[in-house]
Amino acid sequence: MATKHTAFEFSPGFEDGRLRVAWYAFVGLLVAGGAYAAYLRLTQGMASTNLTSIVPWGAWVAFYIYFVGLSAGAFLVSTLANVFDVGKMHRIDRDALFAAIISMAVALLFVWIDLGRMDRMYYPFIWRQFTSALSWEVHAYVAYIGILVTELYFSMRIDLAQLATELEGPRAKLYELLTLGRTDTSDASRAFDTRWLKRAGMVGIPLAIFTVHGGTGVLFAVSKARPYWNSGLFPVIFIISALLSGTALVMMLYVLRTRLFDGERVDADLLEQLAQLLIAFIVIDVALTAVEGLIAFSSLHPHEVETWLIVLFGEMSWSFWWFMVGCSWVFPMVLLSKRSWRRSPPIMTFAGLLVVIGVVAVRFNIVIPAQILPVMEGLPHGSYFPTLVEWATSFGIIGVGLLLFTIGAELLPLTPLTGGDHE
Amino acid sequence: MAMSSADSSEPLPGVPNVNRADLDEMVENERVDPHEELADVDADTDLGIEMAEDAQRVARGELTGDDFWNKHDTAAEAEFGEEYRATPNPAVDSGDQTISTPTAESLSCSVGSMDSVASESALQRDESGIGVGNEKWGMVIDLQKCVGCDSCTVACKAENRTPPGVSYNVVMEEEHGEFPNVTRTNVPRPCMQCENPPCVQVCPVSATYSMDDGVVNIDYDRCIGCRYCIIACPYGARYFDFGDNYDDEVDEAGEVTSPEYGVDRGKRTEGDSPIGNVRKCSFCTHRLERGEEPACVETCIGDARNMGDLNDPESDVSQMAESTRAMQLKEAEGTDPNVYYLK
Repeated sequence: MATKHTAFEFSPGFEDGRLRVAWYAFVGLLVAGGAYAAYLRLTQGMASTNLTSIVPWGAWVAFYIYFVGLSAGAFLVSTLANVFDVGKMHRIDRDALFAAIISMAVALLFVWIDLGRMDRMYYPFIWRQFTSALSWEVHAYVAYIGILVTELYFSMRIDLAQLATELEGPRAKLYELLTLGRTDTSDASRAFDTRWLKRAGMVGIPLAIFTVHGGTGVLFAVSKARPYWNSGLFPVIFIISALLSGTALVMMLYVLRTRLFDGERVDADLLEQLAQLLIAFIVIDVALTAVEGLIAFSSLHPHEVETWLIVLFGEMSWSFWWFMVGCSWVFPMVLLSKRSWRRSPPIMTFAGLLVVIGVVAVRFNIVIPAQILPVMEGLPHGSYFPTLVEWATSFGIIGVGLLLFTIGAELLPLTPLTGGDHE
Repeated sequence: MAMSSADSSEPLPGVPNVNRADLDEMVENERVDPHEELADVDADTDLGIEMAEDAQRVARGELTGDDFWNKHDTAAEAEFGEEYRATPNPAVDSGDQTISTPTAESLSCSVGSMDSVASESALQRDESGIGVGNEKWGMVIDLQKCVGCDSCTVACKAENRTPPGVSYNVVMEEEHGEFPNVTRTNVPRPCMQCENPPCVQVCPVSATYSMDDGVVNIDYDRCIGCRYCIIACPYGARYFDFGDNYDDEVDEAGEVTSPEYGVDRGKRTEGDSPIGNVRKCSFCTHRLERGEEPACVETCIGDARNMGDLNDPESDVSQMAESTRAMQLKEAEGTDPNVYYLK
């Protein structure tokens, strides 16, 4: 290829300097606000939240499961390339993997800030409970992050090695460090990486589906005290909405990074593939959610029926209709309905953004409504809306994720040097 | 000797003016007639009166302890037979016995001194009594006796010194029917101390667990405050300690805390457990351990609450739990609470 004998150019960061400043200013604002809110959280304790003993889980838990889902979804999209070898998907392999890693980091920050005793966050690795889904989850997350990092390494190493030899200065040093000493760029080493990438991916798929995100669904589904969660379909819907948000995120990242970082043309065929995937996930998500609702209503179980009525018509039903139904299903479905729109980067970015935001409401509508009705008649009803501290810390943690991703995208060869054409 | 100054001086305001003669007369009036009193007893009345009068002489120093026993020992043995020797004699005591050693030996009580008998019987009580761990604690609440006064809730807060927002016991009040045909059921709700506790099942760090005595324990030093147990409890019996306190209502409200689960944590301190932990009713384990009933049981004005050993089929709670009126809350959940209700 031409890159071999032209002066080697590698600038993965923002194309537009002013946009870079604006973006970092925005992210910096989020992080600074979050830092102050986190200070309030640390000094005032859990009293800084609107949580109660009746609604003990709130925004932080909702964001935690959201980001675990986002990670699992993005990861599963990456396996389309590195396990199932869907040609064009190789272009977005590293984007998806890196986003999955950052999402897990963000998810764990949400778990951490949510603990009543943040100083004891490592206790689950010292003491365990065989029957606790949460105990298993904590370990699954660690294994899963290990798999993600391994995969990103095998996916990116050959490019890191090439960059380390062709570039000079601290960047080259960094890349050399990241190759972990394997600087061979031969075809044999590429084949080795591809093989191990596939193996890691094959371990990762069941890990992501059944333990990481399915398991997070199980964590809720086992609570028989909360009939709204207590169903076998629940963890499955968890996974589908994870795929939905993950695909949307990857689609959005693909367009934004190709346009703003690489300064290249978006591959309309790849975009359409991702868009079709998104359609499929929306359809499955709608169908399974409808089935879940129908089962709940036909059970005539008062607690379940009433919880669904709260979701559909309660105080916070706007989040269901506008965000869950609107942003994650109907509006993107409209945008995905025409082939020319599916091939249009701005429209698909917008559709992806809608889904990514809409699924946040899906997570809130999982966590909160099940805690509104009392577990026994005669106990008080719950009500919950996050405090400013909860919102600001949440946006701060998301800001940390955006910051980490941006720095990574500015430094690392997330776009394959070969352009993603797999060979 | 002057009994009091009341005899000679003016009575103080509000103090009744009684002199010694009046007091002696009152005592004499109250004194029972020894002949009448002992007539109902199998033992010889005359011997009894004689021994009592001599005992008074011993007390006044007119007679020695040795002389007392030399005089009465044979007659007493003849009167009481074998039981006389099998009963500890208060006069024979290894510490400061009131008779000389030879006399004590001649009396030869077969069961030893009062001291040793007392400590032996105390030991016996320990083996079968409270705090040794053979019990499975259970509570039975009689809904027909509960008047819904909420004293249990208040007693619990006072005993366990729970902060605002934490109430180990509540009384759920349900009204049925339409005016004027209404009834009200009051259902007190402590922790059910389930045999199959969902809270224990979900705790990721095993900070909450079932003890042999049937109580579900919380280790405040291990709890990470994830609140999964609150989510899992079908009875809403668990509460998160947000760190609030009653300082505005009561001065130094946090100076003393309750030694829950037998651990004294001193004063309530910001940032220290149990702040940031999940809390719940412990059946007042700290009271059970020292032989007291839980505060709610002790305070219940209608005697609706009962605490006892479910392992002992003869205990009141076992028998009540077996009755046809007995039920558990949410039996279908399979949690098998150790709190029973009588319908």
